[in-house]
Amino acid sequence: MSIKFKLIRLLKRLLPHFDPFIIFQSAVSLFFFIFLLILPLSSIVLRAFLYKGSFSLYWFQSILTNKYFLSLSPKGGKLFEIYGDTLYVWGLDYGIILNSLIIALTVATLCSILGIVTAYIMAKYEFPGKTVLRIGLNIPMLATPFVNAYVLSKLFHPKRGIINVLLYDILHILPYRVDVNGFAGIILAQTLSYFPIVYLNVLSSIISIDPSLEEQAENLGAKGFTLFRKIILPLSLPGIMAGFTVTFIFSMEDLGAPIGFIGYSGNPLAKKVMSYYIFQSFSEALRGQISPETATLSIILLILSLSGFMLIKKYVSLRTYATISKGSRWSSKVKKPRRIGLLLILAFIIPLVIFASLPQVGVFILAFTDWVTSGIFPSKLTFEYVNQLLTPSVRTAMFNSLTYSILAVLIAVFIGSNASYVVSRVKSSIANILDILSTIPISIPGIVLAVGFFLFFTSYFRGTVLDPLVDPSILLILAYSIRRLPFAARSIFAGLQQVHISLEEAAMNLGANRLHTFIRIVLPLISINIFGGAILTFVYSMSEVSTSVTLGSLRGDRGPITFYISQVVYGSVVVGAVSVGAALCVLLILLQVIAISISNYLLKQRFSIFGM
Amino acid sequence: MVEVKLINVTKKFGSVVAVDHVTLNVNHGEFFTILGPSGCGKTTTLRVIAGLETPDSGRIFFDDEDVTDYPPYMRESGMVFQNYALWPHMNVYENVAFGLKIRKVSKDEIKRRVKEILELVKLEGLEDRYPHQLSGGQQQRVALARALIIQPKVLLLDEPLSNLDAKLRVEMREELKMLQRKLKITTIYVTHDQEEAMVISDRMAIMNEGRILQIATPREIYMKPRNLFVASFMGKSTIIYGKVVNKLRKYVEVECKNFRIKGVTPYEDLKVNVGDKVACIFRPEFFKLKEESDEVNSFDGIVESFSFIGSIQEVYLRVGSARFIFEVDSSFNLNIGSKLRIYIPYEKTVVLPV
Repeated sequence: MSIKFKLIRLLKRLLPHFDPFIIFQSAVSLFFFIFLLILPLSSIVLRAFLYKGSFSLYWFQSILTNKYFLSLSPKGGKLFEIYGDTLYVWGLDYGIILNSLIIALTVATLCSILGIVTAYIMAKYEFPGKTVLRIGLNIPMLATPFVNAYVLSKLFHPKRGIINVLLYDILHILPYRVDVNGFAGIILAQTLSYFPIVYLNVLSSIISIDPSLEEQAENLGAKGFTLFRKIILPLSLPGIMAGFTVTFIFSMEDLGAPIGFIGYSGNPLAKKVMSYYIFQSFSEALRGQISPETATLSIILLILSLSGFMLIKKYVSLRTYATISKGSRWSSKVKKPRRIGLLLILAFIIPLVIFASLPQVGVFILAFTDWVTSGIFPSKLTFEYVNQLLTPSVRTAMFNSLTYSILAVLIAVFIGSNASYVVSRVKSSIANILDILSTIPISIPGIVLAVGFFLFFTSYFRGTVLDPLVDPSILLILAYSIRRLPFAARSIFAGLQQVHISLEEAAMNLGANRLHTFIRIVLPLISINIFGGAILTFVYSMSEVSTSVTLGSLRGDRGPITFYISQVVYGSVVVGAVSVGAALCVLLILLQVIAISISNYLLKQRFSIFGM
Repeated sequence: MVEVKLINVTKKFGSVVAVDHVTLNVNHGEFFTILGPSGCGKTTTLRVIAGLETPDSGRIFFDDEDVTDYPPYMRESGMVFQNYALWPHMNVYENVAFGLKIRKVSKDEIKRRVKEILELVKLEGLEDRYPHQLSGGQQQRVALARALIIQPKVLLLDEPLSNLDAKLRVEMREELKMLQRKLKITTIYVTHDQEEAMVISDRMAIMNEGRILQIATPREIYMKPRNLFVASFMGKSTIIYGKVVNKLRKYVEVECKNFRIKGVTPYEDLKVNVGDKVACIFRPEFFKLKEESDEVNSFDGIVESFSFIGSIQEVYLRVGSARFIFEVDSSFNLNIGSKLRIYIPYEKTVVLPV
């Protein structure tokens, strides 16, 4: 036998499960995660814990004792206050750390209540119009970054907002004009777009409950609320936990609402959250600096969202996800409600769906009418803003987004296939680590990753193609690929679960090595899952916000569309520019609808955790 | 065709010892079966031979070549999996041709050899079908053809018939046996079905809890089991426990609760001494109905139940606290509760140490 073979034999003595291909796969995946996740995040840690050249908690101390960051008594804002004919709902300012935490907990709680009730109704009752409502419940999840919050702030404008004009001035239903602003505005915007995440998680949990478990309980005398509390609620706990935690994390890292919620007379209260603070400090980054305060705040944000992730780790790992995302193998028991019940259900769910879809509807109105300048109601249809999509600066942004997203998909699929294969086929600590690393990007705030990328790549790759101050393109591609990797990895892992291991063993038995087996047997069999995962990755890369508006801001001509939208909503003084952003959002919505339909069709996945 | 040797092979999964110091020798062209209850380690043994599992210790030889460290794709073994493991995205031709394509055999030769092997397993004309368009029996043949086409050194069969219905299973095992005799290929067959094992094998190994308990021809295993597990696993039997009271050259005498039994110990090395606890094993077909008294191995009892099997009737006889199972001619008139006296010659009574 050859020398190569003797080497294999020797290595095999040392490592009993030695297999060159598996080792290659593990190494490539690990390198990817270390280079793009662990090292950048470590650079933030380094910056946050260094003071005058040595390890110190100085920055943490200085932040946690600064009232701007943390204040135990409110130092501004108003919870519910009435002045003249207006009820102001703003929220109290406890310093940006507590603000973020309070907002996130409130959003997660509200989303859970709405989500659980909606899921229970949709899972257990049959009523007219259910299909329409089921589709309607997906509308709020369509990403329309910044513009959705802008629409809400426009709707709730105390003088010129449609809701106040309609309910106070015309119909006289409300005793006061309502000014939803500041933190309340963020909570409103986030709750409306995130509650379907809890809904889908809980729905998928409820319909996965074996109906015989319920029937057995009924047979023993449990019914109604007792049945719900004793059987359904505990068994759908994984879905509830995952939903609560994910909305908590999403709320804390969200930039769309703080940036987009302009509010009445530019109330700055909505900007007093951690994510916005970090975002803003990126303007300093143009001078090549990220302050230690920003790094420290990033670490705090990271710790908060990671602890959320640790809580639900066992529910969202690839291995668990694949078993609970398949939906039910049986058809869950569905009841027809009596008349009063039916009325209650419809009275709850129809307004909810309409209200939650308002931002997306508003996006369309903004894009196709003169609403942005016409005052209270739009006065005429116009294609002026849609036509502006053809201007060079918008075309550049679209071209950038497309290029970045496609390349990010290729990377995410490559790493996702290799990591998932190791996780699904090898029982070792490396596989467990890769399982966690493939899911953890969901819980890493994009804004924190952006800070990490900036610190790491400007410090160690200064002046190279990887330096974001030179050109952020490559870093944006890498950032998209790691942030959206979980979508690719999950879809591919679900496919691998379907491929019986003996199909691969048969190939190896007939003389094919691992690489051959992977290419000729495994890949063809999971091609649909790869494609489905790639589509999701693509869509969520196109609508990615956090790194796009930070790293993307470092060079105007390299910014993707979400950066462009943030500019027109937040910074631009050109009249009607927001509507161009809305027109871009319409384009994004179309893209999402098409892509998610294809992916759901291919993966035959009726419901999926994370609602995506 | 090779001789397969396993020397002291052990394989653990965590704290579970799946294969426990297994040593066995499969001769050139032999049809060798590993038989045992589910979870006994027989499939793991087969997978260790195929290289799909790496043993924790011990060596595996194909002839004089130590293949222990070879990855599966270098072993040149052809395996038929329990679920056939046909690739759903390939048709019959592509499935069967796979091993040759990997070996970079020329297209024309692949064509010729696939045709040849499909004829051998009687699947001519089904080249373009996909696995889901085939019946269970046809799938099984494709799996067999796919394994045979690479002319493996050894053919490994992992319960290949267990997914077929009873009638087809009997047909296929005959075919498999004929095919193996024709190709003279060393074959290792794993099954939990003792009848299948008896019919098909030249020699067989009985396995339990990871250990090999006996290796012999089917006849020897049935007639001369080496231990109680083998005796009770193979076929039906009545087992009576007792103590050795007398040891002669030809037989041993065993004192039981209600009676005294004479029997033989099948192997010299199974040492049985006066005073030892032993088990006496009686096969149902060796009993005779007997009128006259004072024979040692005679038992008086009452018919507890009986069932008509076809060529024979199976009778349960209550003798004191013991229950005997034996066979009588199907024409014999039986009544529940009636008295019967049965007898078994001492040379057909197996005495094993406990």
